[in-house]
Amino acid sequence: MIRIESDPWAAMVAHAREIYPNECCGAMLGSTLDDGKVVREAIRLQNAFEGPQAARYELRPEDLLAADKAARDRNLELIGIYHSHPDCDAYFSQTDLKNSCPWYSFVVISIQKGEFDHANSWLPNFDQTEAAKEELIY
Amino acid sequence: MAKVLIPTPLRQFTGKQDAVTASGATVGDVLSDLTSQFPDLRKQIFTDEGKVRSFVNVYLNDEDIRYLSKDKTPTQDGDTISLVPSIAGGATTTAPPEEATLSKEEILRYSRHLIIPEVGIEGQQKLKAAKVLLIGAGGLGAPLGLYLSAAGVGTLGLVDFDVVDFTNLQRQVIHATQDVGRKKLDSAAEKMTAINPHVKIVKHEVALTSENALDILKDYDYVVDGTDNFPTRYLVNDACVLLGKPNVYGSIFRFEGQATVFAYEGGPCYRCLYPEPPPPGLVPSCAEGGVLGILPGTIGLIQATETVKLILGIGEPLVGRLLLYDALGMKFRELRLRKNPECPVCGDHRTITKLIDYHQFCGVPKQAPAAQETTTVNEGEIDVKGVKEKLDRGDNFLLIDVREPHEYRICNIPGAKLIPLGEVPNRLGELDKSADIVVHCKSGMRSAKACGILRQAGFEHVRNMKGGILAWSDQVDPSVPKY
Repeated sequence: MIRIESDPWAAMVAHAREIYPNECCGAMLGSTLDDGKVVREAIRLQNAFEGPQAARYELRPEDLLAADKAARDRNLELIGIYHSHPDCDAYFSQTDLKNSCPWYSFVVISIQKGEFDHANSWLPNFDQTEAAKEELIY
Repeated sequence: MAKVLIPTPLRQFTGKQDAVTASGATVGDVLSDLTSQFPDLRKQIFTDEGKVRSFVNVYLNDEDIRYLSKDKTPTQDGDTISLVPSIAGGATTTAPPEEATLSKEEILRYSRHLIIPEVGIEGQQKLKAAKVLLIGAGGLGAPLGLYLSAAGVGTLGLVDFDVVDFTNLQRQVIHATQDVGRKKLDSAAEKMTAINPHVKIVKHEVALTSENALDILKDYDYVVDGTDNFPTRYLVNDACVLLGKPNVYGSIFRFEGQATVFAYEGGPCYRCLYPEPPPPGLVPSCAEGGVLGILPGTIGLIQATETVKLILGIGEPLVGRLLLYDALGMKFRELRLRKNPECPVCGDHRTITKLIDYHQFCGVPKQAPAAQETTTVNEGEIDVKGVKEKLDRGDNFLLIDVREPHEYRICNIPGAKLIPLGEVPNRLGELDKSADIVVHCKSGMRSAKACGILRQAGFEHVRNMKGGILAWSDQVDPSVPKY
């Protein structure tokens, strides 16, 4: 289970709407508690994909390294990555899966015609062949 | 001893420590020491075969070890090693558009595709929805056009402004003998439609230029480069990089070919491989050096295969790998290609942000000089009729043919002395400096170089036969075959 507090959640949705019709991406910082994960802060990261970004995103490793450091500095943990799917369901696509990492929760935000529609969180496996849906509360 | 920074999700395996020390002479050694200290980390970082997992990037201080010596990269005391996942993704293609629905006839036609699980109805619809631009309807364009239309690629664009010529027929199998003299576009489109009337063929009867390239390429998903000259190759590359379109590349010469996919999702581009064009004239074209007629079939079909894989999203694309094919040895080799961070068009500090003048960049004139068409005879030149008159009069002069022996055997002018261009500097001693000399080759280019060498060496009466033996065949003796 992953719960996103209202401030980071609002920031993530605002980010996704702002970048629409392209895909946005970012990091989620928070804590791991006994009953699940809590996201306390969202950090916008640059979509570094070279080419049209309407259906693709890519994180720079150095940006991820910086996000991890930011989490350390604030006594938080880097617990997940979010990105948007403009005019598309919040499913975990083959592209998402093939470029995923089992260490994090992946929140996908569906933006339809510029407005928030729905969101899901996914936990990919080690072999990048499947992702399990994680309960998402926001 | 090196410090290894542990990403938050992995700290549960290191007793909550965010950094641990491990020892070893190389990065690989440090990582194996790390996982022997914390065995639960092993599964997170390594596959069962002991390889670093594909989603893990290892950084030594600020450098990705892939660009150093990988796991053999030496480490020193005080180094910091970071494990950083590589993450990307995207919605990619949604459901294929409505018009990509297959009719009953199409389902029958594509039956052998539909029963492959990796293709299926969905894959065939992707093919139907795909728009592929073929640049050149020649040697590479021929197999590409035939097979991609047969495979059911919905929209195929063709760029060509040439006319079918007898010398094309040895390899450009999309054109037949009766097509000689027709536009290649019309001839190719006719064959493709005959194979598959469901394919939409878009004809672009132009030479691709910096002015029109972006406008033509923008409507396509994939670009396949079947060109035979450097200016167009750089033009296609840059346009693909600027538009974010994959460039399926192939090239051929004599018995050897190359293929790769450039500009695909952050992979290297043609300029990463060849930042500068070769000096003009150094690398002969197929027209100058010849090509085994079957070779473009092999290379063109590798390009066709890669195009179909990209459309279907299956297999390992030929990205970051240059495939080299040697027909005589019947061997395939692979070179790894890396994206060049300093690449002017796709690197970190880009200096090329729009299309440039590619003829100037490659140091070649826009239009190849049509030697036999110009009628003026310049200083130091003689036309073929002038040479014929000299022969008929029985003038005392020396005619030198600077072509290669295998060309001489195809056709020659009786009485001409064969000295291949490369041997001219060493055989000056055979020649009389005061003699009246006329030099010829196939079209007049090589003989012009030979004239320069002779004049430099002090020969006084040297003239170049304009238009070479091709002009001789046109204007003096039609029984001499052209090649």
